Amino acid sequence: MTDSNRVVGHESVGESASVETRLTARGLTHGFGDGAILEDISITVEPGEILAVVGPSGTGKTTLFRLLALFEQPDSGTVEVGGEDVWAMPDEQRLAVRRRIGMGFQTRSLFSTTVADNVAYGLRVRQSWRTRLRDAVEDAFGQTEPSPTVERALETVGMSDKIDRDARSLSAGEAQRVAIARALAPDPDVLLLDEPTSNLDPRNTAAIESAMREARDRGIAVALATHDMQQAQRVSDRTAVLLDSTCIESGPTDRVFETPSDDRVRRFIEGKLVY
Amino acid sequence: MLGLGDLNLTYLVSITFVSLYVSTLAVLFSAAIGLPTALAVGFRDFRGKSIVTSVISTGMGFPSVVVGLVVLLLLSRSGPFGEFELLFTPEAMILSQTVLALPVLVSVSLSAIQSVPQDLRDAAFATGATPADVGLLVIREARYGIVTALLAAYGRAISEVGSVLIVGGNIVFSDSTSFTRTLTTAITVEARKGNIETGIALGVILLALVLSVNALGARFRDRTPGGERQ
Repeated sequence: MTDSNRVVGHESVGESASVETRLTARGLTHGFGDGAILEDISITVEPGEILAVVGPSGTGKTTLFRLLALFEQPDSGTVEVGGEDVWAMPDEQRLAVRRRIGMGFQTRSLFSTTVADNVAYGLRVRQSWRTRLRDAVEDAFGQTEPSPTVERALETVGMSDKIDRDARSLSAGEAQRVAIARALAPDPDVLLLDEPTSNLDPRNTAAIESAMREARDRGIAVALATHDMQQAQRVSDRTAVLLDSTCIESGPTDRVFETPSDDRVRRFIEGKLVY
Repeated sequence: MLGLGDLNLTYLVSITFVSLYVSTLAVLFSAAIGLPTALAVGFRDFRGKSIVTSVISTGMGFPSVVVGLVVLLLLSRSGPFGEFELLFTPEAMILSQTVLALPVLVSVSLSAIQSVPQDLRDAAFATGATPADVGLLVIREARYGIVTALLAAYGRAISEVGSVLIVGGNIVFSDSTSFTRTLTTAITVEARKGNIETGIALGVILLALVLSVNALGARFRDRTPGGERQ
């Protein structure tokens, strides 16, 4: 276990988010080559809510989440955090904003090391090089204890008993829970989860949904991409529906599911819209 | 001991030391140049990338005598770097071995770096990593292959004869200490003199060194969890 698990002077997971941060996409259009994958999408994720972004596979949910996580600049439109256009900021400021956003992926994404080291990664990269070097040297000379921050993040997803395990030995569901703990450990203001429970068993799905609710209750703005309608209904406060590369409806989850204003949404929810 | 009767200990120790010194520094220089190169080539998509990787792979088959000849021309008194007076010194040998080890190191480590899934780079980025952090993570994830690359480069360097003979000059002082003679060039001397048994004995020492370095590398490689990607 590396000493980088010990982070001093960083807000611990489990405390309330320091700044209420709204994540807004305005008029996002993006594509690869000639075809647009996303067209004129505008959504907002408010602090202390879970926004479900639903839509069939291949409709651009992952591309949208990558744009929200600042992987790349959209062809047009803006991504705003706390009301500021992120791509208009200098690189250093954008890095600081990016570090207020955590993300979980659909695919297995744990590093080849221990669970604790994985969860500590986001904390470690926020340290100065000097501190990291010192920690690495100290680590080389002895076993160190994981930080309370790492332990709390793992508790959130019910994985604290696996803290010393080699991450590669975890099941898919356990790995996904650790990946979410890694995203939560630096205490982000925004948490983006791209299909985090696809192909997982009910127990792991329940653990991840519980972590999402806990994050929301701490004031984090949570966005969840899913094609599982029941999950969207179960966990989200608001729902945005992506069809044909654009957001055709958004609003409170109950309203969207009970009285959708767009006929395509109704047919999609009822499973009658085949893609 | 087989064939070692003709060799004194000072001579044996000094040629072993020169072999280790020259090869180790050559591999360190190769790593300093080669790892960032492998990362840059592995990370970026650019026009002509396949040509660059082909050239690097071809470099693994560089004939060592040709490399020695080119370094000789560069370092000779009339060459562009003649003023540094490096010819027939260990530094000239380090240079030629670096040229020989570099393509091996870049090619094998490039393959290891490219095998690290994009998903892991994305996960690092999304967790707040800078490009430098992502590069370090990739090196860490590819460490099994990178250590293999270092070992392959070390094997290429320490077993080298042709170029070090040309640029080093195979020099031994009158007190039997080596200046530019290595285990490999000493073996050629013994073979020419007909001292086959001594040559074989030196070969056994060379093999033992290579085995030791490989054992150390393997130990380091497997020390941490996740040494080998499954």
